[in-house]
Amino acid sequence: MIQCDNLTKRFGDFTAVDHVSFSVQKRSIFGFLGPNGSGKSTVIRMLCGILEPSDGVGRIAGHDVSGETDAIKGKLGYMSQKFSLYDELTVNENLLFYARLYGIHGEAMKTRRDELIALAHLGPYVDRRAALLSGGWKQRLAMACALVHKPSVLFLDEPTAGIDPVARRELWDLLFELSSTGMTLFVTTHYMDEAERCSHVGYIYMSKLIVCGAPHELKKLPAVNPPGTRRLEVACDHVTLGLRATRPLGGVRAATVFGQSMHLLVEETLPEESIRETLLAVGIHKVEIRTIAPSLEDVFVALTAQYAGAP
Amino acid sequence: MTFPTPKFLRGFRAILYKEFITIVRDRTTLFFMFFPPLLQIIAFGFALDNDVKHMAMAVYNEDRTTESRQLVDAFVNTQTFRVVKEVDSLAELEALVRQGKAYVGLQIPPDFTRKLRAGQKADVQVLIDGSSSTIALQALNTALGVAFQQSVNILLGETSRRELPIEVRAQVLYNPSMRAPNFFVPGVIGTALQIATMFAAAMSIVRERERGTLENLFVSPMSRWGLMLGKLVPYLCISMMMALFLFTILRWVFFVPIHGSLVMLFLSAFLYIFALISLGLLASTKAQSQNEALQVTLAIMLPSIFFSGFIFPRETMPWIFYAVGAMLPATYFIELMRAIILRGAGFLEFWRNLLVLAVMGAALFSLCALRFKRKIG
Repeated sequence: MIQCDNLTKRFGDFTAVDHVSFSVQKRSIFGFLGPNGSGKSTVIRMLCGILEPSDGVGRIAGHDVSGETDAIKGKLGYMSQKFSLYDELTVNENLLFYARLYGIHGEAMKTRRDELIALAHLGPYVDRRAALLSGGWKQRLAMACALVHKPSVLFLDEPTAGIDPVARRELWDLLFELSSTGMTLFVTTHYMDEAERCSHVGYIYMSKLIVCGAPHELKKLPAVNPPGTRRLEVACDHVTLGLRATRPLGGVRAATVFGQSMHLLVEETLPEESIRETLLAVGIHKVEIRTIAPSLEDVFVALTAQYAGAP
Repeated sequence: MTFPTPKFLRGFRAILYKEFITIVRDRTTLFFMFFPPLLQIIAFGFALDNDVKHMAMAVYNEDRTTESRQLVDAFVNTQTFRVVKEVDSLAELEALVRQGKAYVGLQIPPDFTRKLRAGQKADVQVLIDGSSSTIALQALNTALGVAFQQSVNILLGETSRRELPIEVRAQVLYNPSMRAPNFFVPGVIGTALQIATMFAAAMSIVRERERGTLENLFVSPMSRWGLMLGKLVPYLCISMMMALFLFTILRWVFFVPIHGSLVMLFLSAFLYIFALISLGLLASTKAQSQNEALQVTLAIMLPSIFFSGFIFPRETMPWIFYAVGAMLPATYFIELMRAIILRGAGFLEFWRNLLVLAVMGAALFSLCALRFKRKIG
């Protein structure tokens, strides 16, 4: 459904997107991850046909995004990073505006509006000005507006940035609902738990796409699981102190803090006992160790480290 | 009920619908559209009055005779002067002028009446504060006029003639009372309409750019003509209401009679506003922020105050300023206003100005639609 072939964008000397290639299957939820300024939004803008690529080709349903902009406009919906709503307009008026913008008038317009209000559960707020909605509701309205013309691909640029956890979960429920109707979703996010819910993820770092694939495939990558190593979760008090103590230990390849525990990538030959002893030496008594599978975050941390270390 | 929208106008009805709601609900924009022009027309109408009346005059009358007092009365009777103080020394007279307490100091020497009676030349000294050239010039002309009139009266008394050999019978056409508001207020309408309309139009697109809503419009199938027309029509309506409002003030607050046809008056306003809004929209295709939009509109505003003939007559300007004036819509509109309101001129006498405004508007509008790209950066 979406295809990028060496998609590149340069702003002067700065290359914001550097030969990015990937494809997204119809009906999938594609999670696009990467730190701020890594080029996520730039890729979306190019795919939506509002930013001219410097090099490479992007295609939506087979149409070139830079040459056939008119052909793709009816197919894609775009929800930008800011809430692109008209504050002075009510929920109802925002929906009617977007409907008219896409050439839907008269009865069809009202029917579509009612459908969207039902879909996004906007019923209680129909006559409220967009400016007075909370973040989560603004986001739902923005999404409803982006869906007004029944696009087959929906781009969402950080849809859950700055909204509360409940609203975040509800928004994802909505995304799954849309996906089940056959829509292709392209979502950028910072949240790893959201990434885990995607059918496919791509990770962009320093303008380059480092990895792309289904989460369970990525977790099996050799770069993430070097042969002869295993991943341990070490739950203990004073995690930062423990981290400092275990890092120099022979056989520990990487150590990161995850909440109240550490994730260690250790050589299989390293016995759990030596970790316990090291921690005891710095005064940490209560220690629980268990073997774990890598999380997506482990995947990205490992790949970023590998990429940064590569010449 | 649906009407097919032609391809090049896609999105027009959506933008139109949204703009009307936004304009009506956005009180701040409405306030800033209506308040400055109102302030401007009131301020200029009342303050820009260059016939000075009753300017402060101090008198040092050393003669103190009937004749000398008649001379002072003759000064006062012109309505140009009023006596604020009688002083007893030349130093005091000079001090009052220097302190700005009097614009004019009149000194009548002690031998004034004696010399007059003896048929000799009597000197009278008039001190004028020259720091304001308009006031000084008028004071000087009036003082000379008074002296001349008095002298002629004396001379006539000595001869057998009863009338002046030559008398000018001046008839001032179109503004017989030479009221300043009649001259300035029609011009003020030109500059007052300008700030608000141009700035509001420019802001309406720049604001969407800043808020990020423009990006969503780009993603939609909206055409650029659809967007520009959708922005033009609502602001044209609002500005025509403002023109009506300003004409009302002109007629009923400043009592400037409208001699020409009202249809022509509104047609001129319509074409002028069309050109202004197009100019504002053109500025917005370039400006990235509200600040930039403000700067661009000011850059057009200022020359049109100086070079449009609003205050200074264009005929006496160096050719370069004359040429700048010829490029400004305000120049043609202000000419039209004076022609229609004051002279009651007919269509055949000013159609060229209407044509220039129409061409300017159409050209600017097409330019901004063509220049506008539905892409970022």
